Amino acid sequence: MGGVEDDEPASKRVKLACGELKGNPNGSLLSEPSVGSSRDLMARLLQSEDDEEVIGSKGVIKKVEFVQIIVKALYSLGYKKSGAHLEEESGIPLHSSAVNMFMNQILDGNWGGSVVTLRSIGLKDESTIKSASFLILEQKFFELLDAEKVMDALKTLRTEIAPLCASSNQLRELSSNLVSLSQGPSAGSSNQANLRAKSRPKLLQELQELLPPTVMVPERRLEQLVEQALTLQRDACVFHNSLDREMSLYTDHKCGRDQIPSKTLQILEAHSDEVWFLKFSHNGKYLASSSNDRSAIIWEVSANGEVSLKHKLSGHHKPVSSVSWSSDDHKLLTCGVEESVRCWDVASGECLHVYEKAGVGLVSCGWSPDGKWIFSGVNDRSISVWGLDGKEIECWKGQRTLRISDLEITSDGKEIMSISKETAILILDREAKSERVIEEDQTITSFSLSRDNRYLLVNLVGQEIHLWNIDGDINLVAKYKGHKRTRFVIKSCFGGSEQAFIASGSEDSQVYIWHRGSGELIGTLPGHSGSVNCVSWNPVNPHMLASASDDGTIRIWGLNSHLQQQKKQQQVHSNGGSIAAACNGRT
Amino acid sequence: MTSSPSAMDVDPPNYDHVTINDSDVHSIVLSYLVHNCYRETVESFAASTGMNQPADYLDGIEKRKKIFECALEGNALKAIDLTEQLAPDLLESNKDLHFDLLSLHFVELVCSRKCNEALEFAQTKLTPFGKMQKYVEKLEDFMALLAYEEPEKSPMFHLLSLEHRQQVVDSLNQAILAQAKLPSHTPMERLIQQTAVVRQLLNQDHAKDGHPPFALKDFLNG
Repeated sequence: MGGVEDDEPASKRVKLACGELKGNPNGSLLSEPSVGSSRDLMARLLQSEDDEEVIGSKGVIKKVEFVQIIVKALYSLGYKKSGAHLEEESGIPLHSSAVNMFMNQILDGNWGGSVVTLRSIGLKDESTIKSASFLILEQKFFELLDAEKVMDALKTLRTEIAPLCASSNQLRELSSNLVSLSQGPSAGSSNQANLRAKSRPKLLQELQELLPPTVMVPERRLEQLVEQALTLQRDACVFHNSLDREMSLYTDHKCGRDQIPSKTLQILEAHSDEVWFLKFSHNGKYLASSSNDRSAIIWEVSANGEVSLKHKLSGHHKPVSSVSWSSDDHKLLTCGVEESVRCWDVASGECLHVYEKAGVGLVSCGWSPDGKWIFSGVNDRSISVWGLDGKEIECWKGQRTLRISDLEITSDGKEIMSISKETAILILDREAKSERVIEEDQTITSFSLSRDNRYLLVNLVGQEIHLWNIDGDINLVAKYKGHKRTRFVIKSCFGGSEQAFIASGSEDSQVYIWHRGSGELIGTLPGHSGSVNCVSWNPVNPHMLASASDDGTIRIWGLNSHLQQQKKQQQVHSNGGSIAAACNGRT
Repeated sequence: MTSSPSAMDVDPPNYDHVTINDSDVHSIVLSYLVHNCYRETVESFAASTGMNQPADYLDGIEKRKKIFECALEGNALKAIDLTEQLAPDLLESNKDLHFDLLSLHFVELVCSRKCNEALEFAQTKLTPFGKMQKYVEKLEDFMALLAYEEPEKSPMFHLLSLEHRQQVVDSLNQAILAQAKLPSHTPMERLIQQTAVVRQLLNQDHAKDGHPPFALKDFLNG
């Protein structure tokens, strides 16, 4: 079969092949060509020499296409000889001879020729031919201008380009190039930097993108296909949770459970009452928690993952229901329930300001992304906006927020979300002054916003967590179940590498983790002895999770392997670095 | 303002007591004729009514008339020359006008299909204006004409029209008269404009009466 051009008519091929088969050592398809079944012979030969020959176990890959993209990949990698050799050996040319001629004509600047060849390439779409012709003639026009052959350029414009153009804007733009507006008549000098025509290889690339892939194989097609496969593998990998971007082509990617935090690494016991809320800072170096004991605590996360107390923030006279980190993590807001909002300096632990409003109590707090103002929900259902100096800038009245409510703002500062009614979340566009609403069929208890501002995770009374897409049209994307919620407000969050997981607290004292894409419950973490009210996943370390519980403690969760490491280190400590510990080796 | 309906009539008897001075009317007619360069008519009208005109008045008319004729028939370069003679520095201080006149010549070249010449002319004479942003768009309009084999069918066809030339000529006329400290709009024109505005205001105040807006044509037809 080797050496025969694919675009030769079938009958010719069959004749040749018949002649060859007799002496063909490879044996091809038939072991004994018998004259009687010449029709069979023809049929089978036709089938195999067909452009439709397929390879692969599923029979969906066309051989010709497969070889062509490999050839193209070889050329892109710079292996010209190998590419040419493969074309020859397989008998499958990368481009038809017409296309080859076309490409050479473009690179040689044979404009007239290339426009003619364009018609013989076999394009069906008239508008593609027109667009391609326009690109070519435009190149001709600019090259003439750059060579200071202005009159020739004018002629090209009038006689060749104008008939092609549907758009008078294009013509207008081109003709304005005929005169140079910059100072002096000799402005059109042959200074390289002033050339108006693009390079010919660039033109060829633009033409390639314009022509359909059946005519010219697109650049990087093989890489694209491989990347698609890798992405699918990664998305399908339910436990994929690492910062490591490496994926191997040798085997399908599949992570084990060991990448999900599942073991308690630390128990933090500095609060004296129920811990209601916690959140990691944006840079993952701090953790802030708030409690029924009317205080908030800033914890520091060390480089090796150990969490220690940095500052205890006292001052509120009411339980602290939530905290909010400024974008640069230098400041922290804390909110006392139906009381005031306090702003603290993270480094020193000092209280910088107290925000309050006469006659009403504040119920939630949040920072603007530029750190210039803070906003908070008020128990009269409005939302107030304050400058850093404590002056109230704006107040949105009406049913904007409820008594116990979360407040979120998008990272571009444009939209603010709050629970406006029992069953609805309000999304306020500050600039356009417009509103959108997410309507649920049950009472909403809490919600949180994804890092890319496109999704909202909503906790409902009925023990379901709903994931909503708010980018463009609002629609429900997924539901997560399994955890317990009957009496208290439980909060959930996004987390893990690329926020691929959902974590939530639960009244059965466990932390629940689901895979966001598939909705599959992949972990339940026991350990707390009271309802788990809130969880926060470290945005920088996908293997660290923190949970806050009614039992007054905070647990830091990590990987099993980290736990083993911890244990070994402790053993080494207690044994004073004995040889026995060293001999245990590492798993 | 009386509220009697008669004040609103088109031809109220009140008009009768408004006296009209003959010589005022003559002035109005004469100024119209002078403005539009009807030299011979000016001479015979002045003679018939016994008005005396200074000699250079007629001279000025003749010169202006020549300029406009050149511009309207497409000989813009000659029109520019004559303008420079009649009113030096006029075009210097009226850049818009200068550009418009030059572009008339450009258009003439395009219409005679002398495209190469037109391009050269544009490069040397028109592009210097391109330093100011407001001329750049105008320039692009004109340059676009070059792209078409049949400029009359292009989107910029109005630039080739007689109306356009007339507009340029009118602006030139006003500029020349202004420089010579003569009125750039005729009293006739102003009177008609004023009547129309007054009528409109009256209509606004007394909409019920529903008189049509002032139209000279209808007025003349009775």
